[in-house]
Amino acid sequence: MDLLDFARGPALTFAGAVFVLGTLWRLSGVLLLPRLRDLSPPREGAPAPWRGALGTVLRRMWPRREFLDRTMFSTVNSYVFHIGLAVTVFGLAPHILFIRNFSGLSWPALPSNVVFAVGVITLVSLFAALARRLTHPVLKLLSHTGDYLSWALTTLPVLTGLLATAHLGARYETLLALHILSIAAFLIWFPFGKLMHAFLFVFSRGATGVRFSHRGVKA
Amino acid sequence: MSQARLLGEVLRERGVSRRAFLKYAGYMASLMALPPSAAGAMAEGLAKARRQAVIWLSFQECTGCIESLTRSFSPSLEDLIFDFISLDYQHALQAASGEAAEEARRQSMRENKGKYIVIVDGSVPMGDGGVYSTVAGHTNQAILAETIADAAAVVAVGTCAAFGGLPEADPNPTGAVPISQLVGDKPLINIPGCPPMPQAMAGTLLHILSFGKLPELDHLHRPRAFFGENIHDRCYRRPFYERGLFAKAFDDEGAREGWCLYELGCKGPVTYNACASLKWNGGVSFPIQSGHGCIGCSEPRFWDRGGLYRALPTGTSDVRKVIGIAAVAGVALGAGAAALARRRSAATRDAAAAPPAKTPSPQE
Amino acid sequence: MDTLSPGAGPIDAPAAAVLREVVARLQRLAREPDFSDAIDLHSLPLGESGREQLRQRLGQGEVDCALQVAGATRICETAYAGAWWVRHADADDRTQHEQIVIARVPALLLAHSDDIGDAARRLAEELAAPACQEIS
Repeated sequence: MDLLDFARGPALTFAGAVFVLGTLWRLSGVLLLPRLRDLSPPREGAPAPWRGALGTVLRRMWPRREFLDRTMFSTVNSYVFHIGLAVTVFGLAPHILFIRNFSGLSWPALPSNVVFAVGVITLVSLFAALARRLTHPVLKLLSHTGDYLSWALTTLPVLTGLLATAHLGARYETLLALHILSIAAFLIWFPFGKLMHAFLFVFSRGATGVRFSHRGVKA
Repeated sequence: MSQARLLGEVLRERGVSRRAFLKYAGYMASLMALPPSAAGAMAEGLAKARRQAVIWLSFQECTGCIESLTRSFSPSLEDLIFDFISLDYQHALQAASGEAAEEARRQSMRENKGKYIVIVDGSVPMGDGGVYSTVAGHTNQAILAETIADAAAVVAVGTCAAFGGLPEADPNPTGAVPISQLVGDKPLINIPGCPPMPQAMAGTLLHILSFGKLPELDHLHRPRAFFGENIHDRCYRRPFYERGLFAKAFDDEGAREGWCLYELGCKGPVTYNACASLKWNGGVSFPIQSGHGCIGCSEPRFWDRGGLYRALPTGTSDVRKVIGIAAVAGVALGAGAAALARRRSAATRDAAAAPPAKTPSPQE
Repeated sequence: MDTLSPGAGPIDAPAAAVLREVVARLQRLAREPDFSDAIDLHSLPLGESGREQLRQRLGQGEVDCALQVAGATRICETAYAGAWWVRHADADDRTQHEQIVIARVPALLLAHSDDIGDAARRLAEELAAPACQEIS
């Protein structure tokens, strides 16, 4: 079996299984934990807990004015590569085909050259994030292997995808196989590192929101 | 039987002039992407060569390969290859049959020892001692071993001979193997395709004849002249791929507009062959031009890549059952972890609420 | 009589690129009379319409040859001396192969020395044969 057949077959199946198992394990493990209920009465005028939660999730999409100066680069750069990743992953026709294959869902695609341009911007933005992490003294102090691994496994699919589209560096079937294998690696690592923030951020912000809105604070 | 005289003389007696050699060489040189100046050298080389003895062995095959070669569109030009070679043994074409045919093969092997070329189409079954394909009571494996012993080179024609093809596809009941597994270190050329392009077969033979050596081969032993580019890079529908215009179903709006067939399973991007540039039947058309995606017939194991209509970016396995089990297992693990955590926190709560245990006083 | 008649009409990018190649080679031929080269039209992304456009644009020159060599071949000089259009056809007159040859004369038109030697020998033998049919 050659590399492409392995990537499209056993590799994707295994990665998909690990991704689903790991993600559900962590999510159910967290959500089924005993919860400390606040038995005190809520502050007068406090919103319902779910509204407090939602409010905090949305409000924290942008930094508070006091912190904006110091967090401007990471805020803007993170938005650039997050939106870039979304456009690339969900806007390119072959990706929509991939998703349709296992979910049945599909939607119109963007022009391929537009997605390619966005992909290039995303790659630059990801490298900027790495540069920031390596040069900012506090970030560098706090970072560990898992952080760099999460960065690498997010960047590799973008890089291999661009190379495959541009037919650059090796024969196309090798580039496509490497791209699919990098997705498999991403999926396998996803539940075990900080990439889980994709699912967990809603709950952690939400929990903070419930707690603070109970006391009448818009956190 | 091969002649001792040079081809130039032999063919002139038949009314084939040196001009005809030049025309044929010019045509073949352009097919093989050789520079036009090579045509002259090729024609000279051909005229000075001797008629090449060729033994064609047919094993687990459908006969499509020889049909492709002989039903070529231009009787006068392509047929010239049969003047340049002496096809001493070939099941579909030879006049002799039975023991006479087998004796013709052995005689050619004796008279041309070390110089004949063996062309093979079809795979060789190895299961159960090779009984699933025999000729004159001998297994294909035995015939192949006997015939290639004193051969100058082996040419595996068609995907079955080159990579195993249809017989080797899942579940491979006969234990079919490609010829490459059985030739040891004999010089081998693979000319895959289901069937292969006639120009690829004739052009490769001509190259060997004119230049006395094998053409440049890729990592799968395929001549680069015909298998160096993939279909995608030569496809006339490529601009639609670049712009993201794909046909979604056969005969839909996009299909009628001639849009790219990527979503309908076209394997053009991972298939190497000459059909997108040379086309079939005298340049008339090729599968994509006729509205059907490339099936990748010149690549190994193309029958088992998940289906002819399964698009390249999709996975090939049915993951639903695995994902279902993984989901259940994940939730179970998570619930188990949470249950353990609950028990730990309950135990802590109980320990904090219970009165302190009575410690014995030092006097007691 | 106007035999040099290049055509006019629309010409798209790939065909225009081929024309530029023809110009470059003709310029070289003008400097080096022994130069010879060919542009293979079927291996380019030209398509039927592109080839037709080229044919129209290059037009017809003074020379038009029909060859019967392992099938029919037509060699015409275009309206541009030194640029020849070579078309090989099969038995059903379907185009098999087309080239633009840049040379003083395409090599296919030249008689090969081996063929000439053979022809000389043959004619000599035929003339030396017993003159049964000779009319005195």
